[in-house]
Amino acid sequence: MKELDLLKKDWKKNETNFQQISSQEIYKMLHGNSSSVVKWILIISLLEFAFWLSISFLFSNDAYIKTIQKENLVLFFDVLNYINYAVILIFIYFFYKNYKKISVVSSTRQLMSDILKTRKTVNYYVLYNISLFTIGFIGGILMISLSTSILNNAFKTTESSLLFVLVCLGMLLFCVTILWLFYKLLYGFLLKKLHTNYSELKKIDFD
Amino acid sequence: MNADLEQNFIKLLSENQNLIHKVCRIYTSDVDNHNDLFQEITIQLWKAYPKFRGESKFTTWAYRVALNTAITIFRKNSKIQITDDYEKHSFVIAQEEYNNEEEEQLKLMYQAIHQLNDIEKALIFMYLEDKDYQEISETLGISEVNARVKMNRIKTKLKKILNP
Repeated sequence: MKELDLLKKDWKKNETNFQQISSQEIYKMLHGNSSSVVKWILIISLLEFAFWLSISFLFSNDAYIKTIQKENLVLFFDVLNYINYAVILIFIYFFYKNYKKISVVSSTRQLMSDILKTRKTVNYYVLYNISLFTIGFIGGILMISLSTSILNNAFKTTESSLLFVLVCLGMLLFCVTILWLFYKLLYGFLLKKLHTNYSELKKIDFD
Repeated sequence: MNADLEQNFIKLLSENQNLIHKVCRIYTSDVDNHNDLFQEITIQLWKAYPKFRGESKFTTWAYRVALNTAITIFRKNSKIQITDDYEKHSFVIAQEEYNNEEEEQLKLMYQAIHQLNDIEKALIFMYLEDKDYQEISETLGISEVNARVKMNRIKTKLKKILNP
């Protein structure tokens, strides 16, 4: 291809024709801000861990359970809590491990796959929390229904109980959809380029 | 990190900065983006520098970091738009040595390359840099044979862009 040969000739000829950047400017750059996608993934992931952790503290139902005065139930929720903390720790461990593996010196494909793996860990963590949230939501409603008479009215007829269940499910679906959209938007924006390039690179080996 | 390390790094980078400029040249199409990418590559090189043991040449090592930064972790996407300003400012084509036809061909060629995707740009870049297929395949993490096949496809693609 003669155009490519011409380009190569020109490329060689011009490889020293760039405006040179001074040592002072390089020094300033070293202390400047990075806009790397890895940095943003780290920040957002840590915020996510913090967010869901604080949710589990803020909306802890311990106090409420104690008022019911059912020891078995208290024990059950205590155990559930400890399991939850253990699971969170495991997630944080895997996240940290994956994050440490990210190296800009790896091959492009390895680097991309490592970044995506880190993201996947956090996605699973979010999914885990949404499931927990769903279970908590349903459990909470059941608990209230069982221990108070407020909902007795709602379950008087088949229609009203159906309506009640539908409203609850609707609320739940709404919350989960909002969360899901939020993540889609956030990471769609952040990882679009990475995903595109990764599939482009994979295609080369599979075509 | 100690001051000596920083001084060494700045010296090495300063001497080899054309390498980074060349990557920016392929991946960006205006001065602002060129400078942003240059800075990001510099930061990534600096962050990775303490682990650079000198087993490979600084340039080989820097190529990889620079390409990875451009393809994978640089967050901003440059728009495909080549301004005259950019051509003048950061990369001076030695016009006097070409005839008009060649000059036009070169301009079209650069424009065509900016229409390629990031991975294709990496392959063209390494082709222009006379890298062998072994290094290309190791840098990108694809097989040597497939790198060759892809390269031929890119040439066909460029031909199509130039002669639609």
